[in-house]
Amino acid sequence: MRGSYLGEFEELVLLTVGSLYKEAYGVAIMDEIEAQTERSVNVSAVHASLKRLEAKGYVTSYMGGATNERGGRRKRFFELTMNGKKVLDESMALRTQLYNKIPNIAYNFSY
Amino acid sequence: MQQQPPRWADRFLRWYCNPDLIEEIQGDIYELYEREVTIYSLRKANLLFIWNVMRFFRWSNIKKSNSKYQSNQLSMFKNYFVIGLRNIRKQWTTSLINVLGLSIAIGLALTTFIFIDQQLNMDSFHTKRNSIYQVINTVQEGDSDLARWGDSPIVLGPQAILDHSVIKDFTRIEFRYGNLRRGDYVFNEFMSFVDPSYLKMFDFPIKYGNRSALEEKKNIVIGEETALKYFGQEDPMGQQMSIKFSNGVIQQYVVGAVLDKQPDNASFGFEIMLPMDNFFDLRFKDNYDWAYFTDATFIELHEGADPRALEELFMSYKELQNQSDSRWTITDFELLSLDGLGTEAFDIQESVATAGHPAGRLALGGLSVILLLLACFNYMNIAVASATKRLKEIALRKVMGSDRRQIIYQFMLENFIQVVLAMMVGILLSYYFLLPGFSYMVPINVPFVFSSWGAMFGFFGTLLLIIGLLSGGYPALYISRFQPVSIFRGKEKFGSKSIFSRVLLGFQFFFAFSTIVGSFIFVDNANYMAKRDWGYDPEGILSIPVANSQEYQTLRKAAMEKPEIMSVTGTQGHISRNSTYTTVSRLDNDFKAYVYRVGPDYGHVMGLRLKAGRFFEKDKATDLANGAYVNEKFVKQVGWDDPIGKTFTYDSSRYNVLGVVEDFHYYTFWVDIEPVFFLMVPEEDFKYLVVKSEPDKLVEVDKYLLGVWPSISPNDPYDKVYQEDAMNGFHEENRANIVIISFIAGLAIILACLGLFGLLSFNINRRLKEFSVRKVLGAQSSEIIRVASREYVWVLTIAFVLGAPTGFMMITQLINMIYPDPKQAGALPFIIAILIVVVTVIITISGQIVRATQVNPSENLRAE
Repeated sequence: MRGSYLGEFEELVLLTVGSLYKEAYGVAIMDEIEAQTERSVNVSAVHASLKRLEAKGYVTSYMGGATNERGGRRKRFFELTMNGKKVLDESMALRTQLYNKIPNIAYNFSY
Repeated sequence: MQQQPPRWADRFLRWYCNPDLIEEIQGDIYELYEREVTIYSLRKANLLFIWNVMRFFRWSNIKKSNSKYQSNQLSMFKNYFVIGLRNIRKQWTTSLINVLGLSIAIGLALTTFIFIDQQLNMDSFHTKRNSIYQVINTVQEGDSDLARWGDSPIVLGPQAILDHSVIKDFTRIEFRYGNLRRGDYVFNEFMSFVDPSYLKMFDFPIKYGNRSALEEKKNIVIGEETALKYFGQEDPMGQQMSIKFSNGVIQQYVVGAVLDKQPDNASFGFEIMLPMDNFFDLRFKDNYDWAYFTDATFIELHEGADPRALEELFMSYKELQNQSDSRWTITDFELLSLDGLGTEAFDIQESVATAGHPAGRLALGGLSVILLLLACFNYMNIAVASATKRLKEIALRKVMGSDRRQIIYQFMLENFIQVVLAMMVGILLSYYFLLPGFSYMVPINVPFVFSSWGAMFGFFGTLLLIIGLLSGGYPALYISRFQPVSIFRGKEKFGSKSIFSRVLLGFQFFFAFSTIVGSFIFVDNANYMAKRDWGYDPEGILSIPVANSQEYQTLRKAAMEKPEIMSVTGTQGHISRNSTYTTVSRLDNDFKAYVYRVGPDYGHVMGLRLKAGRFFEKDKATDLANGAYVNEKFVKQVGWDDPIGKTFTYDSSRYNVLGVVEDFHYYTFWVDIEPVFFLMVPEEDFKYLVVKSEPDKLVEVDKYLLGVWPSISPNDPYDKVYQEDAMNGFHEENRANIVIISFIAGLAIILACLGLFGLLSFNINRRLKEFSVRKVLGAQSSEIIRVASREYVWVLTIAFVLGAPTGFMMITQLINMIYPDPKQAGALPFIIAILIVVVTVIITISGQIVRATQVNPSENLRAE
C-alpha cells in the first residue's frame, strides 16, 4: 500500500463518500462537493481520487445494478471502510486539538 | 428524443480506456451529458463531453495491453539474459565472429568520431571565442577570381578600434623568419609579431610569467619547446636572446613569459612571439599603409555587438585600400568568428589556422559508416542462420504462451548483450591501437577525448541504438514470425535460400572487392609517384643559406679546398627553398610563373636538363641584364614554337629567352607544374651556397662544412638542406595515404570473410546430413565441395563483376583529384585484387569445406 497521507482534495472526497452513504458514486460525489464548497470539480479528478483512496484502503467499492439513465450502464458505489473512518477521525481530532491551542491573543488582529 | 454525444470522442474513450474502468467512466460522462443537454445548448454539452473525455485521458485509465504479464515481465527478462549468455558461450565461434567484426567497426567509427569531433571543435579552449573575429577579406587580384584571404591591411586594426566603439580590442599577427640566438645556439626560426593584447584575447596556457608580458617592448614570449631547445633545464625567464632579421638588423630581447604546451585542438598558436612595435622598428618598409597586408587581424567585440553590422561599417575602408593598391583590391570584408575558424580555414588563403579539409572528414566518416554497415550485415546474416538451431526453442516458447513481441524482445536483448560486448572491445581497440596509430599518421595530435559529455553520450547512445536495432531488428522480426506448428512438423525451411542474406553477403563482397581493387590501384600509383623522376638531379646536392657575399666568398673558398666537392655555386633562388610566385606578360597575355634568380652555374650544378638553347654564361653582361631560361610549361603557356630568342616582360623589364629546360618538380608531386623562369643575379645577391659531390661523400662534406661554419658566420645557423630531402613531406603524406587506404581495404576484406565464414559454417552444419547421404550414395569429395560452395561462388562472382569496376572508377577519380599527373592503371591491380580475395576466401572456407567432405555418414545419420 502507498503512504497513508491524505491530501486536501482526497479528504474532501472521503468526507463526501461518508456523507452520501449508500449513494456515493462519481457524479453524485462531484455534485455534492460542488454544492458544498461551491468550487468547480471535474469528474475525472473525483475518479482519480477515489482510485487512490481505494488503493490506500479508505474506501471500498461495488458495482450497482443496471440503471435507466446513462445508457443503462452500472454505477460504481463507494463506501467508507473502518480505516477510512479512522483516518477521518484522526484528522478531525488533530484539527480540533490544534484549534484549541490557539491562544486568544491571536484573535487580536490589528490592521 | 435523446441526444447523442460526439461519436469520435466516445470512440476515442473506448479506444484508450482500460476495459475494467470503461463502464463507470463512460456511465458518469453520459450521465453528466444527459443533464447538460437539458441545461445548456447542444453545442456546449458536446464540448463539455469532449472535455471530460480528454480529462479522463490519464495514465491510470489508459489500457495496458499486456497487463496480464506484468507480474513476471522482469523475471522473463532475467531469463532472456541468462539464455542469451548461455547461447554466446555455446556458440562461441559465431559470437566471437560477431563481436570481433562489430568491435573492429565500432573501434574505427569511434576513432573517426573522435577525430571529426576534435576537428569540429577547434579552439574551444578560448573562453572569448564567441566574441573574437578574424577579419577576412575577399580579394580581387588582377583578373583572377575572387578569393578569401586571411591577410588584412596592417593599419586596419588600429584604425577600426578608433572608429568603432563596439570593438574592445584587436591583435595583428605578422610572420617573419629570423635567426634566433642565445649564446652558441643559433637557429633559423619562424616567429610572429603580435599586438600586446594577443595573450589577453586568447587563452593559450602560460607556464611561466603572466599575460601582460608582451606589453614590455623588449620582451620575447616563447613556447615550451623553444624554451627546451635553447635553455634545456635552465630557467628561461629573464634571459637574453637576440634575433637577426633578413635585413641584417639585430634586436635584443628578454624572455618575458613561457607558454605551456598548446592544447591539441588549437588551430593556431606560435612558438615565438614578439611585440608588434619591434616590427615597425625593423623598417622593412618606410611607411606601412593600406597597401601592406599583415598575416592576420583578430578583433574582439563587446558583449552583444553585431558582427554583421560592423562588416557593413568596414566597407568604408574598402575605398582607402583600393586607392592604395589597384592590383590587389579588397571587394568585401567578413568577420569570421573564432568558433568557425577551424572549419573554415581550408577555404581561406594563407590562413593562420591549420585545419583539415572537410573532404577528408567526409571520406573517413563515410568509410566508417560503410564498415559499420558491413559489420551489421554480418551480424544479421549470422543471426538468421544461427536461428535454425533454435527453431524448436522458439516454437516451444510460443506454445508455452510467449507472444511474438516477447520473442522479439528476447532476440533484441541477446543482440544488445553482444553489441555492448563489442562496444567495450571496440573502445579498447580504439584507445590502444586505432587512435594512437591514426594520430601518428596525421600531422596533428588526436587525444582520446570528447569535446563534451553530450557528444560522448550522444555518440555511444546512437551507436548502441542503431547497431542494436539494425543488426538485431531484422533477425528478431524474421525469427519471431514462424508458426510453432510448422516448425514442429519440420515444414519450416529457412536460412538456406534466403535471397536477403545473399544480397547482404554480396554487398559485403562488393565493398571488399571495390576497396581492394581501389587500394591496389592507389598504392600502385603512389609508389609510382614516389619513384618518379624529379626532372633534375637532386643526388649529392647540399644547400646552405649565407647572409652576404663576404660570407659566401669565405665559405666558397673553404668548400673549394675539399676535394670531394665536385662543384660549388651560389644563387639567390633555390629549388624547394626559395622562389617567388609572380606575374609575367607576353604581349597582352598575363600569367603566373615562378621566378628563380640564380647564379650562372646553377643549371649545371643542379642537373637541370636543357631541351634547347643554353644556360647563362658567366661573364656575359647581356645575360645578366636580360637573359632568361624557362621551363617547357612556360613555353607551352605562351604558345611558342621556337622559344629561343623570344622575349617576355616581367617587372617592367624585357627578357630574352636563352634556353629551355625540361619540366621539374619543385617540392611535391601534389601540384601541377607551373611556368618557371630563371634569371641571373650577380654575386652580391647570393643567398645560398650550393655544393655538389658524389652522393656517398655528401655526409662527409656536410661534416666538413659544419666544422668551418662557426668561424665564418657566428650569428647565423648552419641551416643546410640535402636536396634529396626536398620531397620528404610528399613522401610522408604519400606513405600515410598508403597505410590508411590499405588498412581500410584490409578491414573490409576481413569483415567480409568473417561474414562468409560464419554463414558457411552454419550452412554446412545444417547440411551435414545431406552431405552424409550424398556420400553414402557415392559422391566424390570434389562433388561435395562443389555443392557446398556453389551458392557462394555465384555471390562472389557477381560481387566482383560489380565491385571491381566501381572501385576502379571511384579510386581513379580520387587519384585524379589529388595527383595532377597520375599513372594509367593497368591490369595488375585487378589481378592482384582477385588473387588476394580468392586466397583469403579459400583460407576462410577451406576448413569448413574440408569438414563437409570428411563427414562420417554413420555418425551423422545414426542420430535418427
